Amino acid sequence: MINHVESPILEIHDLTVSYDQSPVLWNVDLSLPSGKLIGILGPNGAGKSTLIKAIMGLVAPSGGYVKLFDKTLEEVRSRISYVPQRESVDWNFPASVLDVVMMGTYGKLGLFKRPGKKEREIAMECLEKVGMQGFAKRQISELSGGQQQRVFIGRSLAQNADLYLMDEPFAGVDMATESAIFELLQQMTSEGKTVVVVHHDIYSAVNYFDWFIMLNLHLVASGPKEAVMTEDLLRKTYGGKLNLLTKVSELIRQKEFNPLKN
Amino acid sequence: MSDFVYFFTFQDSSIAFVVIGIILLGVGSAYVGTYSFLDKKALLGDAISHAVLPGICLGFILAGTKNPIYIVSGAFFSGALATFLSSWLRKNTRLSEDAIIASILSIFFGFGIVLLTVIQKSGNPEMAGLNQFIFGNAIAILEEDLWIYGGLAVFIILTLTAFQKEFSLLVFNAEYGSAIGYPMGLIRLVFNVLMILSVIIGIQAIGVVLMAALLITPGAAARFWTDKLSYLVILAGVFSAVSGVLGTYISFVLPQMPTGPWVVVFLSLVALISFLFAPKRGVISRYISRRSYLKRTHQDHLLKALYRAGEKDKTNLSIEEIYETYPFQKKESNQSIKYLTKEGFIIQNQSLITLTSKGKSESKRIVRLHRLWELYLNEYMNIAPDHVHDSAEKLEHILTPELEQLLESRLNYPKLDPHQETIPRDNDEL
Repeated sequence: MINHVESPILEIHDLTVSYDQSPVLWNVDLSLPSGKLIGILGPNGAGKSTLIKAIMGLVAPSGGYVKLFDKTLEEVRSRISYVPQRESVDWNFPASVLDVVMMGTYGKLGLFKRPGKKEREIAMECLEKVGMQGFAKRQISELSGGQQQRVFIGRSLAQNADLYLMDEPFAGVDMATESAIFELLQQMTSEGKTVVVVHHDIYSAVNYFDWFIMLNLHLVASGPKEAVMTEDLLRKTYGGKLNLLTKVSELIRQKEFNPLKN
Repeated sequence: MSDFVYFFTFQDSSIAFVVIGIILLGVGSAYVGTYSFLDKKALLGDAISHAVLPGICLGFILAGTKNPIYIVSGAFFSGALATFLSSWLRKNTRLSEDAIIASILSIFFGFGIVLLTVIQKSGNPEMAGLNQFIFGNAIAILEEDLWIYGGLAVFIILTLTAFQKEFSLLVFNAEYGSAIGYPMGLIRLVFNVLMILSVIIGIQAIGVVLMAALLITPGAAARFWTDKLSYLVILAGVFSAVSGVLGTYISFVLPQMPTGPWVVVFLSLVALISFLFAPKRGVISRYISRRSYLKRTHQDHLLKALYRAGEKDKTNLSIEEIYETYPFQKKESNQSIKYLTKEGFIIQNQSLITLTSKGKSESKRIVRLHRLWELYLNEYMNIAPDHVHDSAEKLEHILTPELEQLLESRLNYPKLDPHQETIPRDNDEL
């Protein structure tokens, strides 16, 4: 069940990604409409984060390509914003909340230049949007999980992009923060932005997203909620890994080279 | 004493040069080291500093003298080779990082010692002093060496300052840096080059064995004092420069003393002081704040005892009764009574102790928090009434007014706790 769309904001063509030779994503082929709130669903180890990283060019694919706004990543990088997983950084790093949010302006600022008053103002605005304006001077080591997540989202807002890719922004977040973040994402899509979110909880996902990508090492489904939220597809997504696929991965891992690499 | 005055008044221009050199080198290496410490790459610095030894020896063999250009180039070459090898091995083998670092360090250093022995056997008269590269001798630095080492240090400091934003991004979240299109691979390369250079500037003054200490210790010590990157870097530079100058002074007064170990001794002293005395993170300040917290809890318990006496229509407690309630804590009890009297919570009349109105409201607050928390545990967490007391006994001292308000509204302003005792409010009669 894979719905392709006309003039997609994101097109993924036969993307295969391997880590240490084991393929973690097989032939993902999909296209996404713009202005939607899109959820990536799948069990642990299904390749959800890997898909986002491959889109951002952070992992090299062993096959296939990604096109954004019908262009290559390098041509449109400033229009895309990435929110990494909260756990991927060391929050004991000596920096203030404002310092981190200001990193969102670094892309436009470019190398060598130092952020100034303008960047500070942008960062403050974005902190306000995520409800953290009172925390600007706070050290990031003193934040709770939900606050860290808001800081990361604030940082991506500072990029003022058109497409947002967020890796588990709802992980380790309390209910109040979860709904606040969700409202913010909805507001962003109503302004015409596209937001793609890796999400772990199917129950809340049903209420949150308009479009779903279901992954389990391969693409199970991609389409509007009404079309893909079926018991059958959910079972295919969450019903254990495909036995044969795992065996083939194992076979490839034991070879001295990766036959999938082009 | 005259040595001290002679050294620190810089009458001798060569001493002034050495001191300037050691300050530049200290600040430069502490600056780079702070970043690598934050990047959790402290061991890489150690590996590089040992790995430059074979390069130094090769440089010497090629030049036939202690020509600083040859030595620096040789050291840079073997340091770069070690850095490259360690990242190549990590990418292409399944060896863990610590195994790679340990092997590179020992292999390069071992090879360096072999070369050093070969040179010593060769009987080259210039080789005297080559040993100094192991433990360092700042006083033996010549003016021409200083131009090179000092110049490199200035280069390191300027580069780090110019790319502060990029290096912070590298350490905090390199992946995000790549996502916004920064050439993180190149930035990492520049950083590694700075790291190697910062080792090289110290080989003459500090020596290869101990250079890692100069990279890492200042940042680690400064981390106890501040949470701000800009202060951290400055403080690390100051620690390093001060220890450097003191170490140089020792090897000036006692000419047989190598500089490196003494610089490390002073650095360790700074680190020890930071570990013990830094506010908030230091061991002693943590001990003090724990002590004062324990004092607080004792005072709170005393007020509670008086409140509970009041519940049984007993308006006061005698000192003896208080001692009995807290056996083996006579000293603490006396301290608490003294403090609470001074602050106007209680009045002591001969041996009888009574709550003042201020003391009544404070004791009610503590009892209220205690009983609210017990009720919360019982109602929301299904913990049996006879299991809730211990937790409440600890949390009554730290629950904030906001949490109190939240508990009140969640529990709907309850009258009784799980033991059917009244939860006191401010306007209740006692």
